[in-house]
Amino acid sequence: MSEILNLYVNGTKMQAIAKPESTLLEVLRDELHLVSPKCGCNHGDCGACTVILDGKAVKSCTVLALTAEGKKVVTVEGLSNGSELHPVQQAFIKYGAPQCGYCTPGMVMATVAFLLDNPTPKEEEIKDALSGNLCRCGGYKEYVKAVSAVVSGEFGRLPEGSEINA
Amino acid sequence: MRKYKFEAPQSFEELFEIMHRANFEKDEIKFVAGGTDFVPRLNFELNMIPSEQKQPLQIMYLGCLGIDSIIEKDGIISIGACCKLNDIMKNPVICEKLPVLVETISQMAGLTIRNTGTIGGNIMNASPANDSIPTFIVLDANFILKSEKKERTVKASEFFTGPGKTVAKPDEVLTRIEINLKKGHASFKKLGRRQAETLSVVNAAAYVEQENSVCKTVRVAVGSVGPTVIRCERVEVALRGKKLTEDVIKTASLKVLNEINPIDDLRASAWYRNKTAPVMVSRAIKAAAGIRGE
Ligand SMILES: Cc1cc2nc3c(=O)[nH]c(=O)nc-3n(C[C@H](O)[C@H](O)[C@H](O)COP(=O)(O)OP(=O)(O)OC[C@H]3O[C@@H](n4cnc5c(N)ncnc54)[C@H](O)[C@@H]3O)c2cc1C
Repeated sequence: MSEILNLYVNGTKMQAIAKPESTLLEVLRDELHLVSPKCGCNHGDCGACTVILDGKAVKSCTVLALTAEGKKVVTVEGLSNGSELHPVQQAFIKYGAPQCGYCTPGMVMATVAFLLDNPTPKEEEIKDALSGNLCRCGGYKEYVKAVSAVVSGEFGRLPEGSEINA
Repeated sequence: MRKYKFEAPQSFEELFEIMHRANFEKDEIKFVAGGTDFVPRLNFELNMIPSEQKQPLQIMYLGCLGIDSIIEKDGIISIGACCKLNDIMKNPVICEKLPVLVETISQMAGLTIRNTGTIGGNIMNASPANDSIPTFIVLDANFILKSEKKERTVKASEFFTGPGKTVAKPDEVLTRIEINLKKGHASFKKLGRRQAETLSVVNAAAYVEQENSVCKTVRVAVGSVGPTVIRCERVEVALRGKKLTEDVIKTASLKVLNEINPIDDLRASAWYRNKTAPVMVSRAIKAAAGIRGE
């Protein structure tokens, strides 16, 4: 028994078929073909599936799809402004944060949502905010460097919530 | 395949109407708030467990019932069961009047799980390693349960009966948690393999009220060392009426070993838990008594 799920995804109203037991991650990947959120552990542990739901970073593998009815979802696909990458994406590239890249979309989304809430964090706060995202290539230092560079303004002004396709 | 159904009632009337129609013989009803405990378990069930013979599962989402506010009235703080963990941590009333809850929740999971997980879900999960339960026990919190016919209040210390088990009946929803603000101090300490996104190896909470430097009222609870979080009455007895010096606290904390019965599991051995439980209990008592150190 499937239901129609209404979502605003990356600024566009979308409908998808969702089963009662489907997760938001499954709907995004399998129904809407947005493959930036990755299915790592499917257990809420690794953070590779992190997306922004109504302005907050969530692990989409722990969210039942139908509980997101009417909500706004942002994935990496909705971050860039035309051909210009979001400052967090630019910083990750410059500081060599992504290695294999599997955890990167989740890290990007966790970082973007965190900086919306707290645009001038201390290093400890950055580490805390990203602690739910595991990186098995071991690139944690680079992630923190990249986020610190964004905070210092190296990549320009951060887009506000309303500007991020929400 | 097991059959699943989904309902998101918008009011308690609607919720109880659906429950009323449901056939408890045939349907298993499961409440879901944030889903951070429920959904990973469901994912596991879908992938691993043959489910042909299982009853259909009615998923009842509680997020639209409007039980997500925090109110202070007449010295009692009432926290809606569906409050998200992060919203509780940031709430000005909680920050000012119940800092121990901020201390507790800030050590639970990580930012992204706390954006989804609710306090009611945490309590009803009733894990022996749950982090909010020791704090609610020492704060002498009340849990309010609502069913179609009645509402009842159960003390936190009498709520849990085993791993995943509580006194709540299948048709009862936890609606709110009530805490009577007192003048003493409470604290929570957690020991885990790492700081974030990890369940406790041992945790402990304490509440202390002193008068003329003598311990008047004290409550101590410890988690992850038995089938439920445990209230440590022998430790409390050893503290009551005494001046809380380091030595008194150390001796009293060792009495926790008579109350707990830890197991070996993937997070730690029973041996390690026996070694660390008195330390965590002592740290919690010291912090609640305002003694610095460690
Ligand atoms: C990566 C990760 C890390 C975690 N770390 C911690 C941690 O450090 N400490 C900790 O304590 N927990 C931790 N958890 C567990 C979990 O996140 C919390 O227990 C959370 O608060 C659960 O809330 P929820 O709303 O998501 O619960 P749900 O999954 O929605 O529900 C949990 C259970 O409670 C029942 N339920 C929910 N609400 C109600 C209600 N109002 N009335 C009756 N029954 C109800 C459900 O039926 C279900 O059985 C972690 C989980 C993950 C995935």
